[in-house]
Amino acid sequence: MQGNALVTFDGVIKRFGNFTAVQKLDLEIHKGEFLAIMGSSGCGKTTTLRMLAGLEAPSEGEIRLGGKPINDLPTWKRDTPMVWQSLALFPFLNVIENVEFALKMRGVGATERRRRAGNWLERMQISEFSERNISQLSGGQRQRVALARSLVVEPEILLLDEPLSALDAHLKVRMQSVLQNLQRELGITFVYVTHSQSEAFAMADRVVIMSKGVVEQVGSAQEIYRAPRTRFVAEFLGSSNIFAGKVASDGTLETATGKYRLPRDVRGNASKSAATLVVLDTRSYLSAAEPGPEFDRVKAKVVGEEFTGAMAKIYLETADGSEIRVQSGYDELADLPMSTGQELYVYWRPEDGHVLPIA
Amino acid sequence: MRRSISLYGLTFSLPMLIWQLVFFVAPLVFLIALSFWTVKNFKMEPDFDTVNWVTMYGRSVFWQSYGLTLALATAAAVITSILAFPCSFAIAFKLSPKYRQWAIFLMVIPFFTSYLVRVYSWQIFLSDNGIINGLFAQVGMGPFPLLNTVFATMIGYLTLTFPLVVLLQLFSLIFIDRTLIEAAHNLRCGRIRTVFAVVIPSARVGLVIAALFCFILSFGDFVSPVYLGGGDPTTLSILITDTTKSGQQWPRAAVIALTMIATLLAVAFAAVGFAYKGRTK
Repeated sequence: MQGNALVTFDGVIKRFGNFTAVQKLDLEIHKGEFLAIMGSSGCGKTTTLRMLAGLEAPSEGEIRLGGKPINDLPTWKRDTPMVWQSLALFPFLNVIENVEFALKMRGVGATERRRRAGNWLERMQISEFSERNISQLSGGQRQRVALARSLVVEPEILLLDEPLSALDAHLKVRMQSVLQNLQRELGITFVYVTHSQSEAFAMADRVVIMSKGVVEQVGSAQEIYRAPRTRFVAEFLGSSNIFAGKVASDGTLETATGKYRLPRDVRGNASKSAATLVVLDTRSYLSAAEPGPEFDRVKAKVVGEEFTGAMAKIYLETADGSEIRVQSGYDELADLPMSTGQELYVYWRPEDGHVLPIA
Repeated sequence: MRRSISLYGLTFSLPMLIWQLVFFVAPLVFLIALSFWTVKNFKMEPDFDTVNWVTMYGRSVFWQSYGLTLALATAAAVITSILAFPCSFAIAFKLSPKYRQWAIFLMVIPFFTSYLVRVYSWQIFLSDNGIINGLFAQVGMGPFPLLNTVFATMIGYLTLTFPLVVLLQLFSLIFIDRTLIEAAHNLRCGRIRTVFAVVIPSARVGLVIAALFCFILSFGDFVSPVYLGGGDPTTLSILITDTTKSGQQWPRAAVIALTMIATLLAVAFAAVGFAYKGRTK
């Protein structure tokens, strides 16, 4: 994927007064990819998107679009249409006039404008509402109008700022597939900002996880899920058990709760004396009896459980107070004593462990 | 259920209702009745005679004055709106909230002084040996006739309505969703064009209401046309005083007043209708 960068953030810093929203961002966004930027509120994800759209100017560094620096280009001279969280549809224009807006600004003639806007309404399956007011549309229909309005100019890149956050769960899933199909059909770049892990992981080719203005990890959903790079990512995903400790001379990890073997292939990462081991909650198991020597284990007390159909999530607490989660099939848990306060063994195969590259 | 008016709601709306009845409906009814009275030997007599309406509407002076007043008030509404807009736009979009509060405060200050006093002080500026012509004399020009002109009347209307128009415009501009402006920029709409394509349509209701207030105040104003315009040309408000002074013709004055009220109502309905056109919320 080298050499096909559409957007490059080169050492970009954004400060608001004393507050640094984005710290030294280096990021390449590839042509035709669906990139999600994810993080909790205030992590700098929206600021990053707004800088790309030209709604904020970087304090330092350079942003390039198609190889050309765009730092000094005002937003109305960039082709970086954005879909807002609030959608920002013009309430004083009807549906088709909203879609036509960008074409009108480019001086496209009235008939051509109407034809192209009409095509997009058809594509988004909202032709029948073309003369309606925005206030007469449902949330999902407005969403489609907003997409049509941004895409009617056939841009190379579309920016989306949490556009689905106002929709109910059912509609959200439907719009996710609309967005994904659209991106594949058009073959253009989507940059999608969200705080929702499920949205990011469901749609994006690559996910960027940000925290406090810093990129914590960039990778496919699978890479990030299997091999989080930092403790923040592991905690943010909330799908792993985390053990921090010191590496002993025999290559094991000494923690407050016990000694654990480190997976062989990544032992190099733990060259420093401190290391953090993470084990996915789906690769952690429970038993009342002591597991065999091929497993590593920790004793923990049950604090709660959460059943979601066939799967269950068990929350436990170790002697030193850290939380452990186990995700397992409902049937496998049937024989276990699960009352609150019950002490159980949580165990895993050492080779399923993952050592964080950055402890 | 909706039909039964709750006692609670009625209690609170009662003062308003009484106020409207005592100070608006009752005088209006009296004014209508008065317009059918007759004047004999400089004394008014209750009557039901259409003579006042026929006389007034038959006079070209009345219609000239009517047309002029309408034109002046319309011009005042347009000119004030255009001059006020950059001001309210700057306060709404360019000032920080702290300075915006100060600007709003400054706009309220003119209301502390009597309008009559402010108009008199304009005379000092505008008269032939006033401040402005004094400055022109310094460079060997003038004196230009400024006082007792339509220009001076217009300055009086501006003095009366400008702060109010700015405030009304401001409150509609402040509540514009800023993301709409960003969205317009993002869709290749430049700064100036965004003002016309997004800001003005978004604030339409407030802008029209502001212009309407300017029209209403200017249409009925007596002070500026007399003390700055010199009473010539004659506006309807001047015509009313002239009519009452000449031979106790209160019934004829009532005809003028009622025509003005009808005009204002028609303009107000048309303006509000235009402001909310196409809105179905």
